[in-house]
Amino acid sequence: MIEPTAILSGLIVGILFGFALQRGRFCMNSAFRDILLLKEYTLLKAVIVAIIVSMIGFHLMASFGVIQLNPKPLSWGANIVGGFIFGIGMVLAGGCASGTTYRVGEGMVGSLVALLGYMMSAVITGSGALSGVKSYLETTTKITITNPGPLIAPSSRSPTLANIIGVDPWIIVIVIAIVGIGALAWKRGGREKTEGSLYEKIFKRGWPWWGTGIVIGIIGMIAFPASATAGRNYPLGITGGWSTFLSALIKGDANVLSWETFLVIGVVIGAGISAGIAGEFKLRAPGPGRLIQQFIGGLLLGIGAVIANGCNIGHVLSGIPQLAISSIIAGFSIIIGCWITAYLLLMRR
Amino acid sequence: MSELKPTETLDVRGEVCPYPDVMTQKKVKSMKSGEILEVLVDYPLSVERIPESVKKMGHEVLKVEKTGASEWKILIKIK
Repeated sequence: MIEPTAILSGLIVGILFGFALQRGRFCMNSAFRDILLLKEYTLLKAVIVAIIVSMIGFHLMASFGVIQLNPKPLSWGANIVGGFIFGIGMVLAGGCASGTTYRVGEGMVGSLVALLGYMMSAVITGSGALSGVKSYLETTTKITITNPGPLIAPSSRSPTLANIIGVDPWIIVIVIAIVGIGALAWKRGGREKTEGSLYEKIFKRGWPWWGTGIVIGIIGMIAFPASATAGRNYPLGITGGWSTFLSALIKGDANVLSWETFLVIGVVIGAGISAGIAGEFKLRAPGPGRLIQQFIGGLLLGIGAVIANGCNIGHVLSGIPQLAISSIIAGFSIIIGCWITAYLLLMRR
Repeated sequence: MSELKPTETLDVRGEVCPYPDVMTQKKVKSMKSGEILEVLVDYPLSVERIPESVKKMGHEVLKVEKTGASEWKILIKIK
């Protein structure tokens, strides 16, 4: 049975996360898609900042013994196939795992419908009719290492950028941070001229990309020890939260609930509060065709995230900062799936 | 402001991103120079995005007006 303190800490971190997602319009679906569709990098920059902040934060906390890193296991087949399906799903659903979740708090009925599909298929793929697909891909393409290296939980067998080449993780962290910050500084110039227009001044209430990135990166840092204290040694995640939520309801078994369950509930509440304050909350629904499309997208999100063993949050925001090879592969696969679908659906006519 | 009579109105309320943006772009492409498009949106992210993408296409954003609780009206002049 989950401790009341764990419920509270999950809810609090979730509310903070939901607030930041809504305020920052933090949407990885848009971040990835806009690169292709609009040659627009604002949200991508927020994602990169969040990854760098979390990456440095996780490694600092691990160096001081506050946490032990826990990168996700590598099963390249599952990571590629699952990520790709997830990428298709997020375009159809109109949001990634976190985007769909926080939009429910804004009153988007389409996202609620997508979330229902997402929860259902996550349970079906995790422990139901499709669980064979997941376990087949996982067992046939699994790659493990014998020595996880410093800062990582000793029982871990997950390859990371550091332990496959046998260097100190800090070397990789510093290199990635320098390259990332360099890329941000280089890309900075091109966009500033659109700032300062009348529209920007009126609607400045959305956070700037760097602010969003820093805040979400810090929330990821807080999430790690908070979740570890509750017995789940991993930072932010979404898919596990919703699948445990639905499983607990179906089985009538509260033991299924985890810290992550309360995290996702908190995200919906936090986004609702944020949208309410900004005057952006409203119940609204698209037409029936779009609702069906979003439901199918949601189903693909759940299937993909469970096969890949993580969604855009579990892999991109939480796994890549731990240098997990599995998360890097899944992250690229998500982007490819997103691009192909966005191209077919939105760019061709 | 009264001379800003929209030639056409596009209602994308209820749609989640990217559809408001994509539908606006398609509509803008189908319109003639000098015409004015009015877009009704209720999705905050799209309210920030549509003017950006329309400007990138070279058109002019005349006005972004909040018309209610999470409802906006965007006026675009086609170049």
